[in-house]
Amino acid sequence: MGLNSTNRMWWAGAWYKTRLLCISVPLLTSFTSHNIFCLLSAVALHSETMAKDMTLLWGSGSPPCWRIQIMLEEKQLQGYNQKLLSFEKMEHKSQEVLDMNPRGQIPTFKCGNHILNESYAACFFLENQYKSQGNKLIPDSPDAQALMYQRMFEVFTLVEKLVEIVLYNYKVPEGERHDSAVQRNKEALTAELKLWEGYLKKTDCCLAGKEFTLADVVFFPSVAFLFRLGLSSEHHPVLAKYYNSLKDRASIKATWPPTWQLTPGSDMMKNI
Amino acid sequence: MAKDMTLLWGSGSPPCWRVQIMLEEKKLQGYDQKLLSFEKMEHKSQEVLDINPRGQLPSFKHGNIVVNESYGVCFYLESQFKNQGTKLIPDDTDQQALMYQRMFEGLTFYDKVAAVIYYEYYVPEGERHDSAVKRNKEALDTELKLWEGYLQKLGAGSYLAGPSFTLADVVVFPTVANLFRFGLSAQRYPKLGEYYGLVKERPSVKASWPPHWLENPKGDEDTLKDV
Repeated sequence: MGLNSTNRMWWAGAWYKTRLLCISVPLLTSFTSHNIFCLLSAVALHSETMAKDMTLLWGSGSPPCWRIQIMLEEKQLQGYNQKLLSFEKMEHKSQEVLDMNPRGQIPTFKCGNHILNESYAACFFLENQYKSQGNKLIPDSPDAQALMYQRMFEVFTLVEKLVEIVLYNYKVPEGERHDSAVQRNKEALTAELKLWEGYLKKTDCCLAGKEFTLADVVFFPSVAFLFRLGLSSEHHPVLAKYYNSLKDRASIKATWPPTWQLTPGSDMMKNI
Repeated sequence: MAKDMTLLWGSGSPPCWRVQIMLEEKKLQGYDQKLLSFEKMEHKSQEVLDINPRGQLPSFKHGNIVVNESYGVCFYLESQFKNQGTKLIPDDTDQQALMYQRMFEGLTFYDKVAAVIYYEYYVPEGERHDSAVKRNKEALDTELKLWEGYLQKLGAGSYLAGPSFTLADVVVFPTVANLFRFGLSAQRYPKLGEYYGLVKERPSVKASWPPHWLENPKGDEDTLKDV
Protein backbone atom coordinates (compact mmCIF):
# COMPACT_ATOMS: atom_id res chain seq x y z
CA MET A 1 0.00 0.00 0.00
CA GLY A 2 2.26 2.71 1.18
CA LEU A 3 5.17 4.04 -0.76
CA ASN A 4 8.05 5.27 1.33
CA SER A 5 9.67 7.83 -0.80
CA THR A 6 12.39 10.31 -0.23
CA ASN A 7 11.40 13.24 -2.40
CA ARG A 8 12.11 16.87 -2.59
CA MET A 9 8.60 17.99 -1.56
CA TRP A 10 8.77 21.45 -3.03
CA TRP A 11 5.06 22.07 -2.86
CA ALA A 12 5.07 21.61 0.88
CA GLY A 13 7.45 24.54 1.15
CA ALA A 14 10.18 22.16 2.17
CA TRP A 15 13.78 22.67 1.12
CA TYR A 16 15.13 19.28 2.18
CA LYS A 17 14.43 15.59 1.82
CA THR A 18 11.39 14.27 3.65
CA ARG A 19 10.41 10.73 4.31
CA LEU A 20 6.76 10.49 3.44
CA LEU A 21 4.06 7.89 3.19
CA CYS A 22 1.86 8.35 0.13
CA ILE A 23 -1.01 6.18 -0.88
CA SER A 24 -0.58 5.49 -4.56
CA VAL A 25 -3.79 6.01 -6.50
CA PRO A 26 -4.64 6.03 -10.17
CA LEU A 27 -3.10 9.21 -11.52
CA LEU A 28 -5.92 10.45 -13.75
CA THR A 29 -8.77 10.41 -11.28
CA SER A 30 -7.09 11.53 -8.10
CA PHE A 31 -3.82 13.20 -8.91
CA THR A 32 -4.96 16.32 -7.12
CA SER A 33 -6.17 14.57 -3.98
CA HIS A 34 -3.01 12.43 -3.97
CA ASN A 35 -0.96 15.61 -3.92
CA ILE A 36 -3.14 17.14 -1.23
CA PHE A 37 -2.78 14.00 0.86
CA CYS A 38 1.00 14.18 0.47
CA LEU A 39 0.93 17.89 1.26
CA LEU A 40 -1.07 17.33 4.44
CA SER A 41 1.09 14.38 5.45
CA ALA A 42 4.20 16.38 4.78
CA VAL A 43 2.99 19.27 6.89
CA ALA A 44 1.69 17.01 9.62
CA LEU A 45 4.61 14.58 9.73
CA HIS A 46 7.37 16.95 8.75
CA SER A 47 8.24 18.71 12.01
CA GLU A 48 7.70 15.63 14.15
CA THR A 49 9.70 13.37 11.87
CA MET A 50 12.59 15.76 11.50
CA ALA A 51 12.92 16.66 15.19
CA LYS A 52 12.71 12.97 16.03
CA ASP A 53 15.71 12.40 13.78
CA MET A 54 17.75 14.84 15.85
CA THR A 55 19.82 14.12 18.92
CA LEU A 56 21.48 16.60 21.25
CA LEU A 57 23.92 15.69 24.02
CA TRP A 58 24.29 18.72 26.26
CA GLY A 59 25.38 20.17 29.58
CA SER A 60 23.38 22.57 31.75
CA GLY A 61 24.47 26.20 31.48
CA SER A 62 27.05 25.59 28.76
CA PRO A 63 26.55 28.49 26.33
CA PRO A 64 27.35 26.49 23.16
CA CYS A 65 24.77 23.84 24.15
CA TRP A 66 22.21 26.46 25.04
CA ARG A 67 22.58 28.15 21.63
CA ILE A 68 21.47 24.98 19.87
CA GLN A 69 18.56 24.49 22.24
CA ILE A 70 17.35 28.04 21.64
CA MET A 71 17.72 27.50 17.91
CA LEU A 72 15.65 24.30 17.97
CA GLU A 73 12.88 26.12 19.85
CA GLU A 74 12.97 29.13 17.50
CA LYS A 75 12.63 26.82 14.47
CA GLN A 76 9.79 24.87 16.12
CA LEU A 77 11.79 21.68 16.25
CA GLN A 78 10.74 20.54 19.71
CA GLY A 79 10.55 16.81 20.29
CA TYR A 80 14.19 16.06 19.49
CA ASN A 81 16.07 13.35 21.40
CA GLN A 82 18.27 14.81 24.08
CA LYS A 83 20.45 13.76 26.98
CA LEU A 84 21.73 15.94 29.78
CA LEU A 85 25.31 15.10 30.71
CA SER A 86 27.48 16.19 33.57
CA PHE A 87 30.85 17.90 33.02
CA GLU A 88 31.85 17.17 36.61
CA LYS A 89 31.34 13.45 36.09
CA MET A 90 33.41 13.75 32.87
CA GLU A 91 30.46 12.45 30.87
CA HIS A 92 31.55 14.58 27.91
CA LYS A 93 34.43 12.13 27.53
CA SER A 94 32.13 9.08 27.58
CA GLN A 95 32.00 6.62 24.68
CA GLU A 96 28.51 7.83 23.81
CA VAL A 97 29.88 11.32 23.12
CA LEU A 98 33.11 10.12 21.49
CA ASP A 99 31.09 8.02 19.05
CA MET A 100 29.52 11.20 17.70
CA ASN A 101 32.31 13.65 18.54
CA PRO A 102 35.97 12.58 18.51
CA ARG A 103 36.81 15.80 20.34
CA GLY A 104 34.88 14.59 23.42
CA GLN A 105 33.03 17.87 23.74
CA ILE A 106 29.44 18.95 24.14
CA PRO A 107 27.27 20.05 22.49
CA THR A 108 27.25 17.03 20.28
CA PHE A 109 24.42 17.28 17.76
CA LYS A 110 23.16 14.94 15.11
CA CYS A 111 20.57 16.13 12.60
CA GLY A 112 19.45 13.07 10.63
CA ASN A 113 22.76 11.84 9.18
CA HIS A 114 24.55 15.11 9.72
CA ILE A 115 26.92 15.72 12.57
CA LEU A 116 27.08 19.34 13.68
CA ASN A 117 29.04 19.53 16.89
CA GLU A 118 29.97 23.15 16.50
CA SER A 119 27.17 25.33 17.89
CA TYR A 120 27.45 27.97 15.16
CA ALA A 121 27.48 25.25 12.49
CA ALA A 122 24.27 23.82 13.93
CA CYS A 123 22.67 27.28 14.05
CA PHE A 124 23.54 28.15 10.44
CA PHE A 125 22.55 24.73 9.14
CA LEU A 126 19.20 24.76 10.94
CA GLU A 127 18.40 28.31 9.78
CA ASN A 128 19.23 27.34 6.21
CA GLN A 129 17.32 24.06 6.24
CA TYR A 130 14.26 25.40 8.06
CA LYS A 131 14.17 28.88 6.55
CA SER A 132 10.41 28.90 6.17
CA GLN A 133 9.66 27.40 9.58
CA GLY A 134 9.53 29.14 12.94
CA ASN A 135 11.19 32.54 13.30
CA LYS A 136 13.31 34.02 10.54
CA LEU A 137 16.69 34.57 12.13
CA ILE A 138 18.78 36.04 9.31
CA PRO A 139 17.39 39.43 8.16
CA ASP A 140 17.13 40.23 4.45
CA SER A 141 18.25 43.85 4.71
CA PRO A 142 21.99 44.02 3.87
CA ASP A 143 22.66 46.48 6.69
CA ALA A 144 21.00 44.37 9.37
CA GLN A 145 22.51 41.21 7.96
CA ALA A 146 26.01 42.62 7.97
CA LEU A 147 25.59 43.86 11.53
CA MET A 148 24.30 40.46 12.59
CA TYR A 149 27.33 38.70 11.07
CA GLN A 150 29.72 41.23 12.58
CA ARG A 151 28.30 40.79 16.09
CA MET A 152 28.01 36.99 15.80
CA PHE A 153 31.70 36.68 15.18
CA GLU A 154 32.67 39.26 17.76
CA VAL A 155 30.94 36.97 20.27
CA PHE A 156 33.92 34.61 19.88
CA THR A 157 36.20 37.37 21.11
CA LEU A 158 33.95 37.98 24.11
CA VAL A 159 33.86 34.26 24.90
CA GLU A 160 37.65 33.98 24.68
CA LYS A 161 38.08 36.76 27.21
CA LEU A 162 35.49 35.26 29.52
CA VAL A 163 37.04 31.80 29.28
CA GLU A 164 40.55 33.13 29.98
CA ILE A 165 39.28 34.14 33.40
CA VAL A 166 36.85 31.34 34.19
CA LEU A 167 39.18 28.53 33.14
CA TYR A 168 42.51 30.14 34.09
CA ASN A 169 43.35 27.72 36.88
CA TYR A 170 42.11 24.79 34.84
CA LYS A 171 44.09 25.62 31.70
CA VAL A 172 47.25 27.04 33.20
CA PRO A 173 49.39 24.74 35.40
CA GLU A 174 50.39 26.24 38.74
CA GLY A 175 54.00 26.90 37.79
CA GLU A 176 52.94 29.00 34.80
CA ARG A 177 50.45 31.30 36.50
CA HIS A 178 51.25 35.00 36.76
CA ASP A 179 49.47 37.82 38.56
CA SER A 180 50.29 39.98 35.55
CA ALA A 181 48.30 37.60 33.35
CA VAL A 182 45.33 37.49 35.74
CA GLN A 183 45.30 41.28 35.85
CA ARG A 184 45.58 41.58 32.08
CA ASN A 185 42.73 39.11 31.55
CA LYS A 186 40.51 41.09 33.92
CA GLU A 187 41.27 44.34 32.10
CA ALA A 188 40.65 42.68 28.75
CA LEU A 189 37.20 41.46 29.78
CA THR A 190 36.31 44.84 31.29
CA ALA A 191 37.24 46.60 28.05
CA GLU A 192 35.36 44.00 26.02
CA LEU A 193 32.18 44.42 28.03
CA LYS A 194 32.37 48.20 27.59
CA LEU A 195 32.34 47.64 23.84
CA TRP A 196 29.19 45.51 24.09
CA GLU A 197 27.50 48.06 26.35
CA GLY A 198 28.20 50.56 23.56
CA TYR A 199 26.83 48.26 20.87
CA LEU A 200 23.61 47.62 22.74
CA LYS A 201 23.07 51.32 23.49
CA LYS A 202 22.87 51.96 19.75
CA THR A 203 20.23 49.35 18.92
CA ASP A 204 16.58 48.68 19.72
CA CYS A 205 16.22 45.54 21.77
CA CYS A 206 18.54 43.24 19.92
CA LEU A 207 22.11 43.13 18.64
CA ALA A 208 21.33 43.71 14.96
CA GLY A 209 18.42 46.11 15.44
CA LYS A 210 14.74 45.59 16.20
CA GLU A 211 14.59 41.93 15.37
CA PHE A 212 15.90 38.94 17.30
CA THR A 213 18.48 37.25 15.05
CA LEU A 214 21.16 34.57 15.07
CA ALA A 215 23.41 37.14 16.75
CA ASP A 216 21.16 37.07 19.81
CA VAL A 217 20.87 33.26 19.71
CA VAL A 218 24.64 33.01 20.10
CA PHE A 219 25.21 36.03 22.36
CA PHE A 220 22.44 35.67 24.95
CA PRO A 221 23.73 32.44 26.58
CA SER A 222 27.11 34.05 27.23
CA VAL A 223 25.49 37.14 28.74
CA ALA A 224 23.31 34.96 30.95
CA PHE A 225 26.41 33.04 31.97
CA LEU A 226 28.14 36.29 32.97
CA PHE A 227 25.22 37.29 35.19
CA ARG A 228 25.17 33.78 36.64
CA LEU A 229 28.79 34.41 37.61
CA GLY A 230 27.79 37.56 39.46
CA LEU A 231 28.32 40.30 36.86
CA SER A 232 27.10 43.55 38.33
CA SER A 233 23.99 45.10 36.79
CA GLU A 234 25.08 48.47 38.16
CA HIS A 235 28.40 48.37 36.30
CA HIS A 236 26.72 47.01 33.16
CA PRO A 237 23.22 48.50 32.97
CA VAL A 238 22.74 48.13 29.22
CA LEU A 239 23.76 44.47 29.27
CA ALA A 240 21.42 43.97 32.24
CA LYS A 241 18.57 45.55 30.30
CA TYR A 242 19.26 43.26 27.33
CA TYR A 243 19.41 40.23 29.61
CA ASN A 244 16.19 41.07 31.39
CA SER A 245 14.30 41.85 28.22
CA LEU A 246 15.15 38.47 26.63
CA LYS A 247 14.93 36.17 29.67
CA ASP A 248 11.24 35.68 29.07
CA ARG A 249 11.41 35.01 25.37
CA ALA A 250 9.68 31.66 24.82
CA SER A 251 12.69 29.86 23.33
CA ILE A 252 14.92 31.07 26.16
CA LYS A 253 12.52 30.36 28.99
CA ALA A 254 11.88 26.87 27.65
CA THR A 255 15.59 26.05 27.67
CA TRP A 256 16.76 27.83 30.83
CA PRO A 257 19.56 25.73 32.38
CA PRO A 258 17.93 23.33 34.85
CA THR A 259 20.82 23.41 37.32
CA TRP A 260 20.56 27.21 37.60
CA GLN A 261 17.20 26.84 39.25
CA LEU A 262 18.65 24.43 41.81
CA THR A 263 21.90 26.03 42.89
CA PRO A 264 23.22 29.55 43.41
CA GLY A 265 25.75 30.99 40.96
CA SER A 266 29.11 32.42 41.93
CA ASP A 267 30.50 35.92 42.35
CA MET A 268 33.57 35.47 40.16
CA MET A 269 32.60 38.40 37.93
CA LYS A 270 31.31 40.82 40.54
CA ASN A 271 34.29 43.15 40.35
CA ILE A 272 34.44 43.36 36.57
CA MET B 1 30.16 47.04 -6.36
CA ALA B 2 33.86 46.27 -5.86
CA LYS B 3 34.67 49.97 -6.22
CA ASP B 4 32.55 50.64 -3.12
CA MET B 5 34.66 48.21 -1.13
CA THR B 6 37.73 48.89 0.93
CA LEU B 7 40.01 46.33 2.58
CA LEU B 8 42.79 47.14 5.02
CA TRP B 9 44.99 44.07 5.42
CA GLY B 10 48.29 42.57 6.51
CA SER B 11 50.41 40.13 4.50
CA GLY B 12 50.16 36.47 5.52
CA SER B 13 47.49 37.04 8.14
CA PRO B 14 44.94 34.22 7.71
CA PRO B 15 41.88 36.33 8.56
CA CYS B 16 42.91 38.94 5.95
CA TRP B 17 43.71 36.29 3.37
CA ARG B 18 40.25 34.68 3.78
CA VAL B 19 38.61 37.96 2.74
CA GLN B 20 40.92 38.35 -0.26
CA ILE B 21 40.20 34.81 -1.46
CA MET B 22 36.50 35.50 -1.03
CA LEU B 23 36.61 38.71 -3.08
CA GLU B 24 38.42 36.87 -5.88
CA GLU B 25 35.99 33.94 -5.83
CA LYS B 26 33.00 36.29 -6.06
CA LYS B 27 34.63 38.22 -8.94
CA LEU B 28 34.89 41.40 -6.91
CA GLN B 29 38.38 42.41 -8.04
CA GLY B 30 39.05 46.14 -8.27
CA TYR B 31 38.26 46.94 -4.64
CA ASP B 32 40.28 49.60 -2.81
CA GLN B 33 42.90 48.05 -0.63
CA LYS B 34 45.82 49.00 1.55
CA LEU B 35 48.58 46.75 2.80
CA LEU B 36 49.55 47.60 6.36
CA SER B 37 52.38 46.42 8.57
CA PHE B 38 51.76 44.74 11.92
CA GLU B 39 55.38 45.31 12.93
CA LYS B 40 55.03 49.06 12.41
CA MET B 41 51.80 48.90 14.47
CA GLU B 42 49.84 50.26 11.51
CA HIS B 43 46.84 48.18 12.58
CA LYS B 44 46.50 50.66 15.47
CA SER B 45 46.57 53.69 13.17
CA GLN B 46 43.70 56.17 12.99
CA GLU B 47 42.85 54.96 9.50
CA VAL B 48 42.08 51.51 10.89
CA LEU B 49 40.48 52.75 14.10
CA ASP B 50 38.04 54.82 12.03
CA ILE B 51 36.66 51.61 10.51
CA ASN B 52 37.47 49.22 13.35
CA PRO B 53 37.53 50.39 16.98
CA ARG B 54 39.33 47.17 17.87
CA GLY B 55 42.35 48.25 15.83
CA GLN B 56 42.59 44.92 14.02
CA LEU B 57 42.95 43.66 10.48
CA PRO B 58 41.12 42.81 8.32
CA SER B 59 38.96 45.89 8.30
CA PHE B 60 36.38 45.85 5.54
CA LYS B 61 33.89 48.39 4.26
CA HIS B 62 31.21 48.09 1.60
CA GLY B 63 29.60 51.50 1.12
CA ASN B 64 28.42 52.34 4.62
CA ILE B 65 28.51 48.76 5.77
CA VAL B 66 31.41 47.67 7.95
CA VAL B 67 32.31 44.03 8.69
CA ASN B 68 35.65 43.39 10.38
CA GLU B 69 35.32 39.72 11.22
CA SER B 70 36.69 37.56 8.41
CA TYR B 71 34.00 34.88 8.72
CA GLY B 72 31.40 37.65 8.86
CA VAL B 73 32.72 39.11 5.60
CA CYS B 74 32.68 35.67 3.96
CA PHE B 75 29.05 35.02 4.90
CA TYR B 76 28.00 38.55 3.98
CA LEU B 77 29.64 38.42 0.53
CA GLU B 78 28.28 34.95 -0.22
CA SER B 79 24.80 36.14 0.68
CA GLN B 80 24.94 39.46 -1.20
CA PHE B 81 26.66 38.05 -4.29
CA LYS B 82 25.03 34.63 -4.37
CA ASN B 83 24.58 34.68 -8.13
CA GLN B 84 28.05 35.90 -8.97
CA GLY B 85 31.33 34.02 -9.14
CA THR B 86 31.74 30.64 -7.45
CA LYS B 87 28.84 29.24 -5.43
CA LEU B 88 30.47 28.66 -2.07
CA ILE B 89 27.63 27.23 0.04
CA PRO B 90 26.46 23.96 -1.58
CA ASP B 91 22.77 23.09 -1.77
CA ASP B 92 23.48 19.44 -1.19
CA THR B 93 22.78 18.94 2.52
CA ASP B 94 25.61 16.47 3.13
CA GLN B 95 28.20 18.88 1.81
CA GLN B 96 26.53 21.88 3.39
CA ALA B 97 26.47 20.35 6.88
CA LEU B 98 30.06 19.20 6.57
CA MET B 99 31.09 22.64 5.31
CA TYR B 100 29.59 24.39 8.35
CA GLN B 101 31.08 21.85 10.74
CA ARG B 102 34.58 22.21 9.27
CA MET B 103 34.35 26.01 9.06
CA PHE B 104 33.80 26.27 12.77
CA GLU B 105 36.30 23.60 13.65
CA GLY B 106 38.56 25.80 11.56
CA LEU B 107 38.49 28.37 14.36
CA THR B 108 39.80 25.84 16.87
CA PHE B 109 42.39 24.80 14.31
CA TYR B 110 43.53 28.39 13.80
CA ASP B 111 43.76 28.98 17.57
CA LYS B 112 46.03 25.95 18.02
CA VAL B 113 48.26 26.97 15.11
CA ALA B 114 48.45 30.59 16.31
CA ALA B 115 49.33 29.47 19.85
CA VAL B 116 52.49 27.93 18.41
CA ILE B 117 53.54 30.22 15.56
CA TYR B 118 52.56 33.49 17.27
CA TYR B 119 53.53 32.46 20.81
CA GLU B 120 55.98 35.29 21.29
CA TYR B 121 53.55 37.82 19.88
CA TYR B 122 50.78 36.85 22.31
CA VAL B 123 52.75 36.11 25.48
CA PRO B 124 54.84 38.80 27.20
CA GLU B 125 58.46 37.78 27.81
CA GLY B 126 58.19 37.35 31.58
CA GLU B 127 55.30 34.92 31.19
CA ARG B 128 56.76 32.50 28.65
CA HIS B 129 57.43 28.89 29.65
CA ASP B 130 59.00 25.98 27.79
CA SER B 131 56.32 23.78 29.33
CA ALA B 132 53.65 25.93 27.67
CA VAL B 133 55.42 25.84 24.29
CA LYS B 134 55.63 22.05 24.57
CA ARG B 135 51.99 21.74 25.55
CA ASN B 136 50.88 23.98 22.68
CA LYS B 137 52.86 21.87 20.20
CA GLU B 138 51.26 18.69 21.53
CA ALA B 139 47.81 20.24 21.23
CA LEU B 140 48.61 21.24 17.66
CA ASP B 141 49.81 17.72 16.87
CA THR B 142 46.51 16.26 18.13
CA GLU B 143 44.57 18.81 16.07
CA LEU B 144 46.61 18.09 12.93
CA LYS B 145 45.94 14.36 13.25
CA LEU B 146 42.21 15.11 13.27
CA TRP B 147 42.43 17.06 10.01
CA GLU B 148 44.61 14.40 8.39
CA GLY B 149 41.87 11.96 9.31
CA TYR B 150 39.14 14.17 7.84
CA LEU B 151 41.01 14.47 4.53
CA GLN B 152 41.88 10.78 4.51
CA LYS B 153 38.19 9.83 4.78
CA LEU B 154 37.22 12.04 1.85
CA GLY B 155 39.87 10.70 -0.50
CA ALA B 156 42.38 12.25 -2.86
CA GLY B 157 41.47 15.43 -4.74
CA SER B 158 38.78 16.30 -2.22
CA TYR B 159 38.11 19.63 -0.62
CA LEU B 160 37.18 19.89 3.05
CA ALA B 161 33.46 19.35 2.57
CA GLY B 162 33.65 16.95 -0.35
CA PRO B 163 34.01 17.33 -4.12
CA SER B 164 33.42 21.10 -4.26
CA PHE B 165 35.48 24.04 -3.08
CA THR B 166 33.37 25.79 -0.41
CA LEU B 167 33.51 28.43 2.32
CA ALA B 168 35.24 25.81 4.48
CA ASP B 169 38.23 25.92 2.16
CA VAL B 170 38.17 29.73 1.94
CA VAL B 171 38.51 30.00 5.71
CA VAL B 172 40.76 27.03 6.50
CA PHE B 173 43.25 27.06 3.60
CA PRO B 174 45.11 30.18 4.86
CA THR B 175 45.74 28.38 8.15
CA VAL B 176 47.08 25.33 6.30
CA ALA B 177 49.29 27.52 4.11
CA ASN B 178 50.76 29.12 7.23
CA LEU B 179 51.53 25.68 8.64
CA PHE B 180 53.71 24.84 5.65
CA ARG B 181 55.24 28.31 5.62
CA PHE B 182 56.39 27.67 9.17
CA GLY B 183 57.92 24.32 8.32
CA LEU B 184 55.25 21.65 8.82
CA SER B 185 56.45 18.35 7.37
CA ALA B 186 54.40 17.12 4.41
CA GLN B 187 55.92 13.71 5.03
CA ARG B 188 54.38 13.49 8.48
CA TYR B 189 51.11 15.04 7.23
CA PRO B 190 50.71 13.78 3.67
CA LYS B 191 46.98 14.45 3.34
CA LEU B 192 47.39 18.04 4.47
CA GLY B 193 50.30 18.29 2.06
CA GLU B 194 48.12 17.08 -0.81
CA TYR B 195 45.33 19.44 0.13
CA TYR B 196 47.79 22.33 0.26
CA GLY B 197 49.17 21.37 -3.15
CA LEU B 198 45.65 21.18 -4.61
CA VAL B 199 44.28 24.47 -3.31
CA LYS B 200 47.37 26.64 -3.77
CA GLU B 201 46.92 26.37 -7.54
CA ARG B 202 43.45 27.85 -7.43
CA PRO B 203 43.36 31.27 -9.19
CA SER B 204 41.82 33.09 -6.20
CA VAL B 205 44.59 31.77 -3.96
CA LYS B 206 47.39 32.52 -6.39
CA ALA B 207 46.06 36.05 -6.93
CA SER B 208 46.09 36.76 -3.20
CA TRP B 209 49.28 34.92 -2.19
CA PRO B 210 51.01 36.93 0.59
CA PRO B 211 53.44 39.34 -1.11
CA HIS B 212 56.18 38.92 1.50
CA TRP B 213 56.08 35.14 0.91
CA LEU B 214 56.78 35.80 -2.76
CA GLU B 215 59.73 38.01 -1.79
CA ASN B 216 61.06 35.46 0.72
CA PRO B 217 60.04 31.99 -0.43
CA LYS B 218 61.63 30.42 2.64
CA GLY B 219 59.67 31.09 5.80
CA ASP B 220 60.58 30.43 9.41
CA GLU B 221 60.85 26.72 8.81
CA ASP B 222 62.21 25.77 12.20
CA THR B 223 59.05 26.59 14.10
CA LEU B 224 57.04 23.53 13.14
CA LYS B 225 59.66 21.10 11.98
CA ASP B 226 59.32 18.96 15.11
CA VAL B 227 55.54 18.90 15.20
